[in-house]
Amino acid sequence: MTTRILTVSTLKMFVRNKQSLFFTLFMPFIFIGIFGLIGFDKPQVIDVGVVAQAPSAMTQTFIDALGKISVFKIHRGTAATEKAALQKGDRDAVFILPNDLMPNPTTTSAPVTQTVTVLQNIARAQQAQTAITILNQLLDKTTLQAAQAPTLFNVDIQSVNAKSVKYIDFLVPGIVAMSVMQMAVFSVAFVFTDYKEKGILKRLLATPMKPQQFVAAQVMTRLLVAIVQTFILLLFGMLIFHTHVYGSWLLIFLLVLLGALMFLGLGFTISGIAKTVDAVPAIANIVVFPMMFLSGIFFPTSSMPAWLQKIVTYLPLQPFATALRNVVANGDGFMAIRTNLLWMTGWAIVLITLAVFTFRFEEKRV
Amino acid sequence: MTDAIIKVTDLKKVYGEFTAVDGVTFEVRQGETFGILGPNGAGKTTTMEMMEGLKMMSSGSVILDGKSVAKHVREVKSIIGVQLQASSFFDYLSLKELVETFGALYGQKVDAMELLREVQLEEKAKSQVKELSGGQKQRLSIAVALVNKPKVVFLDEPTTGLDPQARRNLWDLIGIIKKRGVTIVITTHYMEEAEVLCDRIAIMDHAKIIALDTPLNLLKLADGGATIEFHINKPIDVAGLKGLPGVDDAKSEDHVVFLKSKVPALALPAVFTFAQQAGVTIQNLQMQQPTLEDVFLKLTGRRLRE
Repeated sequence: MTTRILTVSTLKMFVRNKQSLFFTLFMPFIFIGIFGLIGFDKPQVIDVGVVAQAPSAMTQTFIDALGKISVFKIHRGTAATEKAALQKGDRDAVFILPNDLMPNPTTTSAPVTQTVTVLQNIARAQQAQTAITILNQLLDKTTLQAAQAPTLFNVDIQSVNAKSVKYIDFLVPGIVAMSVMQMAVFSVAFVFTDYKEKGILKRLLATPMKPQQFVAAQVMTRLLVAIVQTFILLLFGMLIFHTHVYGSWLLIFLLVLLGALMFLGLGFTISGIAKTVDAVPAIANIVVFPMMFLSGIFFPTSSMPAWLQKIVTYLPLQPFATALRNVVANGDGFMAIRTNLLWMTGWAIVLITLAVFTFRFEEKRV
Repeated sequence: MTDAIIKVTDLKKVYGEFTAVDGVTFEVRQGETFGILGPNGAGKTTTMEMMEGLKMMSSGSVILDGKSVAKHVREVKSIIGVQLQASSFFDYLSLKELVETFGALYGQKVDAMELLREVQLEEKAKSQVKELSGGQKQRLSIAVALVNKPKVVFLDEPTTGLDPQARRNLWDLIGIIKKRGVTIVITTHYMEEAEVLCDRIAIMDHAKIIALDTPLNLLKLADGGATIEFHINKPIDVAGLKGLPGVDDAKSEDHVVFLKSKVPALALPAVFTFAQQAGVTIQNLQMQQPTLEDVFLKLTGRRLRE
């Protein structure tokens, strides 16, 4: 009964504490919102300048066809203005078209070879090359049509319903893992150091309660919060950003419980080390910040230098975030994430052991 | 003494080189209010915390209600109520929830409203600790110390830092608890508090008990007697005053006369008669009985609060 009532009271205190709510829900909401709106995976736009002083009707049709290509953003202008824009870096390529680029189908005169001049932006060679390839394709197609050659090849494009893994799908599970870490580390480190500093732990020791009952209530509260937090954040992603949960919810919650346990160990260790509440953010941030930015929460670790990737793989947040992402966004099962689970279990054992040695409920027995 | 509820025997607390409590021995009787009086750093709180099972004893023993505190610490904790010095409680819980939570720590359901009513915090039941004044916090702390209907209540400097009004208020509350037959052990460095509240007082200094008795008997230790002070309208024969029955000493400064007397009942009528015969008018007469402050001064050669 004692532990149950304590858990209920602890839960009330947790929910009423604005600071812990900030770390638990508000901050991840902001992260998902900001990074979700930036949308790193929107298709790139290629800025193309098109110069044609007085295009014939057929040439104009060709220019319109260019404009329909979704990756192109067409800018019209004179050769001089477009070149200047390219030099400024505002164009990836500039096409200079002769006015009568396209032959008039009503005239039967023999076709004349026309020249299209392309200015390419060397600094954006990739985009310029894409633009040139598309231009060539379009011109070839026109040539073939003009020659009335038979179509030898036909590309049949069929749409298959695939899992759409967009940046936001990558992001949300990472943010969930990160916020479970923040919640577990900060709420425990702050609250227990505060209790210690204010003499509340000592007051509790004056009752017949066993210290482990109190710690159990605190841990159970955090585990419950982690589950609710995960559910709310995933739901938020699904409703606002149309993310998907492909894996099993049960596996997700088990993962989150293991992750929370691991970081609760870290939280208790920190409050064991910190003498005052003021020292908590300093110590906690030294540990938490590098993990936050290097564990592939906001961007894949594959974009980091190899040596850094190696180090980061062994930090506790990385296997947690990766496993959670694989289950949520790829629908991986237990066997697929077992290496990550093993790492997490290892970290949980290490951090909880560390907590047992550093965290003292009672004053040192001299 | 067969009615002792607490027996403290040769209790010691040593921190490395420093001895905080140096072999104290005393008994607290069932139902009495027992004061531990002394300056800061005398070892009062350490003594009390060893009695509560909060601090390990270096040596000696405490038997509380027949149970050894060292061996049966949880049983002892379940029958005592504790108020710690400068105690603090959880934020984000209402007083009612706080009292109930503490009840749960004793495995008991408590009528939180009833307890809050007793300490006059009923209308604050929905408030949080941070909204309370110093006096209210101390009253809450006493309510929490009573959740398990303890046999012994320990109060560690309950009125330190309170204004005189709040202090009186708390004394009344302690008086009410005492009337129910609860044994109270209280530490204080206020002489007046000890005199008002305690049946017996142990005076501690430098880790040792230097005196233990009822307030009245302790006051007898300050054998200087009462001080009588009055104003006169013209000079008076000081040597004549000294020779009066019951007057031990006399001196005069300007128009103020100071007398020392162990038997004021004898001295006062004689002084009035003497003054009348000399044609001197006595005004603003004040008499100061010896206080525990004088006792402490007498025992240690120092003032209590220095």
